[in-house]
Amino acid sequence: MSYRFVLGTATCVVACLVFAVSSATAQSLELEPTRPTLQVGQSQQLKAYYVADGKRMRDTTVLFYARGDGVSTSRTGQVTAEAPGTHEIIALRPATETQDRISKRISVTVSQPAVAEIVFDAPPVPVYAGTRVTLSVKARTATNREREDVTVQVESSAPEVATVDRLHRMTAKAPGRVVLTARAAGQTATTTLEVVANPVASLDLSGGADSARTGDVLDFDATARTEAGTAVGDAPIRYAVRTDHTEEIAPGATAEIGSDGRFVAEDAGQYTVVATSGRHIATHTVTITPRGLEGAIEVVGRGRVSTVHTSDLWVWEAPDGRDYAITGTWGGDGEAYFWDVTDPSNITPVDTVTVDARTVNDVKVSDDGRTCIISREGASDRKNGMVILDCSDPTDVSIVTEYTHRLTGGVHNLFISEDHVYALSNGRRYEIINIEDRASPTRVTDFELETPGHSIHDVWVDDGIAYSSNWDDGIVMVDVGNGVKGGSPSNPVEIGRYAYPSGWNHAAFPYTDAATGKDWVVAGDEAFPNGLNTENEPTIPAGWLHFVDVTDPETPSEEARYRVPEAGSHNFWVDGDTLYVAYYNAGLRVVDLSGDLKGNLYEQGREIAHLKSYDPEGRIPNAAMAWGPQPYKGHIFFSDWNSGLWAVELTSEE
Amino acid sequence: MHFSRFLGLAGFLLALTAAPALAQHYYAYVASESADEVALVRFDAGPELAIVEETVPVGYIAPETEGAHGMTVAPDGEHWFVSIAHGTPYGHVAKYETETNARVDTAHVGMFPATMEISSATGLLHVANFNLHGEPEPGTLSIVDAETMTEVDRIETGIMPHGSRFAPDGHTHYSVSMMDGTLHEIDALTGRVTRTLTTGEGTPKPTWVDPHPSRPLAYVAHNGADEVVVVDRDDWAVTQRLPTGEGTAPYNLEVSPDGTTLVVSYKGTGETGIWDLETGTRAARLSNSQSVTHGVVISPDSRYAFVSAEGRGDDPGAVDVFDLRANERVASVEVGPQAGGIAFWKMEETLPSAQ
Repeated sequence: MSYRFVLGTATCVVACLVFAVSSATAQSLELEPTRPTLQVGQSQQLKAYYVADGKRMRDTTVLFYARGDGVSTSRTGQVTAEAPGTHEIIALRPATETQDRISKRISVTVSQPAVAEIVFDAPPVPVYAGTRVTLSVKARTATNREREDVTVQVESSAPEVATVDRLHRMTAKAPGRVVLTARAAGQTATTTLEVVANPVASLDLSGGADSARTGDVLDFDATARTEAGTAVGDAPIRYAVRTDHTEEIAPGATAEIGSDGRFVAEDAGQYTVVATSGRHIATHTVTITPRGLEGAIEVVGRGRVSTVHTSDLWVWEAPDGRDYAITGTWGGDGEAYFWDVTDPSNITPVDTVTVDARTVNDVKVSDDGRTCIISREGASDRKNGMVILDCSDPTDVSIVTEYTHRLTGGVHNLFISEDHVYALSNGRRYEIINIEDRASPTRVTDFELETPGHSIHDVWVDDGIAYSSNWDDGIVMVDVGNGVKGGSPSNPVEIGRYAYPSGWNHAAFPYTDAATGKDWVVAGDEAFPNGLNTENEPTIPAGWLHFVDVTDPETPSEEARYRVPEAGSHNFWVDGDTLYVAYYNAGLRVVDLSGDLKGNLYEQGREIAHLKSYDPEGRIPNAAMAWGPQPYKGHIFFSDWNSGLWAVELTSEE
Repeated sequence: MHFSRFLGLAGFLLALTAAPALAQHYYAYVASESADEVALVRFDAGPELAIVEETVPVGYIAPETEGAHGMTVAPDGEHWFVSIAHGTPYGHVAKYETETNARVDTAHVGMFPATMEISSATGLLHVANFNLHGEPEPGTLSIVDAETMTEVDRIETGIMPHGSRFAPDGHTHYSVSMMDGTLHEIDALTGRVTRTLTTGEGTPKPTWVDPHPSRPLAYVAHNGADEVVVVDRDDWAVTQRLPTGEGTAPYNLEVSPDGTTLVVSYKGTGETGIWDLETGTRAARLSNSQSVTHGVVISPDSRYAFVSAEGRGDDPGAVDVFDLRANERVASVEVGPQAGGIAFWKMEETLPSAQ
């Protein structure tokens, strides 16, 4: 044993003893009250006590913080209740020269405000004997807030006239007067209803058809009539569909009908639509045949990109009369590639533009084909923004200028419409920029939502309306020149919005269906619940397309979806009755949108054809990752994240 | 004396006496903003070799670049934190275990959270919300309870705040505001701005501040004026200006724990400056292995500086290791593109056979 080792060990032991003693002093923090309970709006002072060596002393150096918005507190512990629930306060005694910091958390219970009244909302009038209606009964606080956690029980004074079940559904049995009494939390409310004789003598079911194809939407219309044949407009009518068990029906065959009488089937077979009103029933049986779409996609040409991931594309006719495409790059060296696609079977690279960026996520071209704009993310100077290109001659593209004002957080997507650029800024808003003089772009204004934590992903402009995709906030329609709301690029005015629960809204594409006259916005998801593999393995995204009827943009309604199993949607394009979807790992999909839409278009056999864009020489080999499609002059061009530019043709043969 | 310090002292004493000599390893975390990943870099002082031990993906919207920007390690070394600059639209801070590099929790903060540090006194994480996205307007510091990952307060400071650092007592916090040229001092206990100081004329664009570990001084990098200024915290005045050279654009800096050396990243020229604080002169001006030098941390033994460099376009990022005795770059390792925030984790001694 060496002298150094002995000396070191002895020193260590002494140090251990000295420091262990000083650190071992027991200390704790106590708070009073230990479990505070408050009403909304009430305040209370918390007191902290420092306990050490068996001594307990008031400590005013302790800092207090609140978690969440349910309670607020000053740093000295004056707590105020903001919302009902159980909330947490953090008490913190900072470290000193001799003691470690101590933190302690306590729960503050904020009681629900008492139920002040029970309210019947708009009882139905009249109520016909033999029908069933759903009542709306609510428990409210003194501040008119609904207590959804309180169970309200409703009793009938005359069960022979009407009964009410636990879901507040009232069954009217016979004409007469009934008093309904609602009770909850010591409060009561009553309402008197008159059940009247049901004038309905018959029920007609019209509309629809005797036969149709899967995916065809049939409009049924049931009418209740008196003995004299007069329609009873306020008679409640319910629709249902029954699957008739015939050999033609596959196991699990489904069909659906809404409260508005719109019917659709996913599988071939026989279905009976049933309408009821009281004791009256009307039925109609429909024979559904397969939609029978038999298409195929033939690869015509390729512009393979295997050294870097590919992002968006745009295809256009340049002033020289030839056709070109521009594609962006993702996670690379800030490049945008130009291709001559005049002969789609012979796609030829003609130029490359490199800017200071890692990702050129989006590319767009002006209507005259002379100006290209590309987005920048990951610029070395963090100014990002967009770059305006002179692409009059796509074989010799030059940079006109860059524009970064208020776009330094990065531009993920952009659009060009009538000498204006709509450019996303840091996923927060879109800036509107005038490029009439493209060498000197000028900011016009911006559009930003007001919701907490709002975020935008994309914007597309059509017929003077900007359709933005905003994750949790869904699609937002803004008049930027259409005139429907008096809007203009300098005065964007919101028309309407539609959000859905997943919060995955990533892209939007508007179109009008010529047959029905309905205006639709296709709202697309993007989601990566299984992560994104950038190097070696395929990715399995999630998400689908939502078909939102915006014929009345102030009351949009989601009517249909297109959902490919085990895959995730990305960008898409509608041309006439046909939808082209770049469905990431499910490749390019072509879908029939003719007629009205309802239900899951995928299950209805509306898909015409698909192509999985496998490429053994791709950036990630054999991993289809279709990014964006564009139908153009009889062909379909699409970009794939792993393999670059594709040109394909839809054929009628298998 | 905290138990962890005691353990460190005991380990140090044992290390002095034990034989044979142990291999010295240094660990640092670095964030790559354009790859949304954090790399754990290990530097072996024996062969002077740096390697990436592990790469941790930290993004959450896969195809989008959220921008992993700032890094810090908790004083007890058990967790590391990364700020994710681009959010929806607000950014957030994510907390990971150093033992497993597994994510523990996240906290939503302000717009473009950049640099951050935890107070040794309160345990609260102070995050400078850089907010470089819109019109110049006063930015904020987010105060985050690092245990529960809850933003408990937000303090308004100047335009584009950056460079969040505490004085050694953990009670006084400093940050600079790049676009109004102001140094802000905050009392971490009251959460109030106690003093402000304009550290230069014109547009010096201060981007970083670091208090001296034992003297009442703070060093401020003037990214727009090619200089580092020394602020006397007692007199609250600039007392010295250290020109760094035209075009150097000093960005981050750190004073060594022994207080003798200042290391400055020269973003503009892709270099690192090493300054002798006893003489106030530059001891070395060394190139980095990639362009756009970004962050600096110095090991607790004041021996090595770990400097991140972003690169441009599809260049990889890099971590360069500088020997502060020899004043030379002794190792480099490639990491993800746009390597920025960097934080020192730990020194560790192992038997050579255990390497």
